[in-house]
Amino acid sequence: MIPVTLRANFSYLLRHPLQLALALLGIGIGVAVIVAVDLANASARKAFLLSMDTITGEATHQVIGGPRGIDESVYVRLRVEHGIRDLAPIVEGAAVVDGASFTVMGVDLFAEQQLRSFTAQARTASGEDTPGESLFRDFLTRPGAVTMSRATADELGLVIGQDFDLLANGRSHRATLIGTFGDSDDTGLQNLLVADIATAQVWLDSIGRLSRIDARIPDGDDAGLARLEGALPDGHRVLTAAGRTRTTAEMSAAFMTNLAAMSLLALLVGLFLIYNSVSFSVLQRRALIGNLRALGVTRGRMFALILSEAAVIGSIASVLGVVIGILLGERLLLLVSQSINDLYFRLNVTDVMVNPWSIAKGVAAGIGASLAAAAVPAIEAMSFPPRLTMTRSSLEGRTGRLLPRVALAGLGTMLVAVMVLLVSGRSLVAGLLAVFLLIVGFALCVPLAVRAASSRLAPVASRIGGMLARMAVAGIGQSLSRTGVAIVALAVAVSATIGVSVMVDSFRGSVDEWLQQTLQADVYAGVQRGSLDPALLAAIAALDGVEAFSTSRRVQLEDASGRTQLIAIRMAPGGYAGTEIIDADPDAVWPRWEREDVVLVSEPYAYQHDVASGDVVKLPTDLGARAFEVAAVYQSYDINASAMLMSRSVYDRHFDDDGVDSIGLYVADDADPEVIMARIGDLGAGRQEIRFNSNARIRELSLEIFDRTFIITDVLYWLAVGVAFIGILGAMLALQLERGRELAVLRAVGMTPSQLGTMITTQTAVIGLLSGIAAVPLGIMMAYVLIEVINRRAFGWQIDMAIAPGILVSAIAFAIGAAMLAGIYPAWRAARSQPAAAMREE
Amino acid sequence: MTSTSEIQLLHLSKSFTEGRRRHRVLDDVSADFLRGETIAVRGRSGSGKSTLLNLIGGIDTPDEGRVIVAGVELTGLTERDRTLFRREHIGFVYQAFNLVPTLDVADNIRLVLELNGVPHRESQRRIGELLEAVGLADRAASYPDVLSGGEQQRVAIARAICHEPAVVIADEPTGNLDDSTAEGVLELLDKLVRERGGTMLIATHSARVAAVCDREIEIHGGKLEAPARAFESR
Repeated sequence: MIPVTLRANFSYLLRHPLQLALALLGIGIGVAVIVAVDLANASARKAFLLSMDTITGEATHQVIGGPRGIDESVYVRLRVEHGIRDLAPIVEGAAVVDGASFTVMGVDLFAEQQLRSFTAQARTASGEDTPGESLFRDFLTRPGAVTMSRATADELGLVIGQDFDLLANGRSHRATLIGTFGDSDDTGLQNLLVADIATAQVWLDSIGRLSRIDARIPDGDDAGLARLEGALPDGHRVLTAAGRTRTTAEMSAAFMTNLAAMSLLALLVGLFLIYNSVSFSVLQRRALIGNLRALGVTRGRMFALILSEAAVIGSIASVLGVVIGILLGERLLLLVSQSINDLYFRLNVTDVMVNPWSIAKGVAAGIGASLAAAAVPAIEAMSFPPRLTMTRSSLEGRTGRLLPRVALAGLGTMLVAVMVLLVSGRSLVAGLLAVFLLIVGFALCVPLAVRAASSRLAPVASRIGGMLARMAVAGIGQSLSRTGVAIVALAVAVSATIGVSVMVDSFRGSVDEWLQQTLQADVYAGVQRGSLDPALLAAIAALDGVEAFSTSRRVQLEDASGRTQLIAIRMAPGGYAGTEIIDADPDAVWPRWEREDVVLVSEPYAYQHDVASGDVVKLPTDLGARAFEVAAVYQSYDINASAMLMSRSVYDRHFDDDGVDSIGLYVADDADPEVIMARIGDLGAGRQEIRFNSNARIRELSLEIFDRTFIITDVLYWLAVGVAFIGILGAMLALQLERGRELAVLRAVGMTPSQLGTMITTQTAVIGLLSGIAAVPLGIMMAYVLIEVINRRAFGWQIDMAIAPGILVSAIAFAIGAAMLAGIYPAWRAARSQPAAAMREE
Repeated sequence: MTSTSEIQLLHLSKSFTEGRRRHRVLDDVSADFLRGETIAVRGRSGSGKSTLLNLIGGIDTPDEGRVIVAGVELTGLTERDRTLFRREHIGFVYQAFNLVPTLDVADNIRLVLELNGVPHRESQRRIGELLEAVGLADRAASYPDVLSGGEQQRVAIARAICHEPAVVIADEPTGNLDDSTAEGVLELLDKLVRERGGTMLIATHSARVAAVCDREIEIHGGKLEAPARAFESR
């Protein structure tokens, strides 16, 4: 049986179901956001790893070469001359089918069976589970033969034996589906086309070349590894398969960490809300608690009662939060995978993989936060004397006396945040911790500021709106024990909107400016995920009206230390101005860059690798590892933080690769870029599908991707605002409940329902105004830290902070609107309450 | 005292639901109170004294019957019109004082004057006079929580009569006060209401309070009963 003391406490909550529901919802949303982000991140990561694991199969190592891959004679030598058997050559590249992106994987079926199961598991049309001889023969002999997972085939609406078109390296090819593998759950194998290696070489313009050679070297077989390494010519390396997968996955790590931090923001706002709900319910029950104490309930028991209540609320809310979180996680996963696809690597994932760890984290956060938030009011409840006669005003007096101390603690917390920032070097997690300390510290200062503001505003309000306005405004400062935390919660949520908006706005401005500067050519042309045909390139460059041209080639250089994106550029005479040199004299840098073995490194690269002009970086070239001096650091907002620029002439000396990804055309003043683009289209017809755009269009497309990346940020901070909204609604409802008798008296002495409603609405509007004003300095501080610390540490970008006044004004207007909206129901409820009934209830 | 009827109650009934039970608090009550009269309403706890006063004060409505105060039939008014009527014609004094804790003494009185549209200068004058009359001229800027019970009730009295209402309703006005303070408060209330020619109903258990009134009525089993001294003019 439930102890009477517990029932006495709980029955209070059950008699105020709306407040209880709001508290549950507030905590629930906080937990939901954490669970959703965690599930989305974990699912994206797991899907990627699973996909890599499936594709990698039994391979433990991979042999890679330079930008053009490996000459297939290397594979033959390894197998025939050196007798290394557990090898499988792979040709891999991108293709487009029905507008969707696919990976083409060219395999040698004879070598494959030792390494991968799915390539050997092809299913024939008759449903035989073993690779039929006919399938085997078709795979090797039929032009354009491919297999794919059954789910992928279903998605494309293909049946076995059906032909379809695919676009690879800008050219259209005919393919035939000859078999499927896997079952309906093809996790890790979506959008993968498996073809014979010769077919893939034709499609990807890689005749005689391999993308990599997969190898299986038993664990601890150092001699085997050494034998493989020793057999490789210069410019080839053996890397562990797991290491390569990890390196790819880590590209998105900072992105995911930032998302996790955003989800914690919702919980932080939720934390204030829990504190508000619990402390309110304790304060409202001060007479009951006093009576229980008089009847012999000990302080310790009282403390335990309050905490057990918080634990129950936290547990129920956490379960609710987990359910909402899983549903929300599915939506977030789409946004996360979209951003990862836009920014980092190809990822196919649609279903959230619910893992117990994510759920446990959410539940622990919900219950832990509830207990932590309830601890303060529980300690306060212990101090209530038996037979409490404490009046509300004396309670407010006590709260008032505490405020300066709370504010002082807030200042101290902010100081700690600054110290964490100063001593934490480049740690992203420490940076995020500092942001949270800053928010908490500032939040602690808000109630004192609100009290001061409300007492100063009250006479002004009186002059404008008479006694009712004065009561509304003065009432805020006089009921801080109830409204203070709700004001703080709203201020924190609104400050997050300011901080993130200013950061995104500044970032967008910087990126836009950078794009304008970088995109110097008038027209850009290239092939989607492929190289331009050299003859076509020459023809485009020779078009009438083209004054000059630049070319670019992006390649990934990889060694055991990680990946570097090398951009080899043939600069047009007018193109140098597009790259802003940061730490050296451009006039001295450019001539050296054109001739010598030097590179320019992007600002994020310089930050993350701690290099500057004059330092030396080692790059794996086709001639082996070579040292390059960093001639200068240049400004870049390229998502690939490890980018560096090398002149094409230097690149050609070190790499056996004549590929060009895109060409930039400088159009003569009297020529029309539109006409040039039309001619490029004509030139490509029947040869290669060329994508071309004006620089303005590329800028637009880039900014579209930028905006898409921040949709998820928007979603997360709106959820935080939602939690704060619930906080204000709960606080206002509770305040009206507490003031039931007072409001009844006002109605009795002649205040009409509309006057009462107006008074309460005015009060909530002023609460919104004060929250909004308080949010401005915190928001700007957050923006500063997000820009100067978080973005820098996560991505290495240097962003110019720009505060658009519109952001601040709309944030304040939003705070007022949200608070007024939250005040509508309490105002309506108070206005329609019957004074006689309110008196009776008292 | 004039013989004009100020309050008429005609066949009033009022019930409340408690759980599944419906409890009839007033059952076919009729009465007539004259202008300037002071009436003690007596009865045991829960007998319906406060309900009767709430109906007369217009803060509650009967299930059946009519309430006519100062010539206005309250039962025919909308909620808003009853509020406006209350604002102008009724003054309330409660056992628990019910001052607005966030307003100081002067503002608690000013609130009613402002609601009645009394100009600021006139309000100031009346507040000054009333605080003088209740002996709290030096406490105008004090907040309720620093006043004693007696002082708070004197402020409540000032607030109840500041707009010179036709009817003052006092629900156990001395219930929270010690005997000596209660006596002072009662005397003050009686004096100020009589000076202004108002009609007053006081709900009370106290024979001493009832003794101050012109007459007394008693509610018993939902019915109005007049004890021996009832309807005798003082």
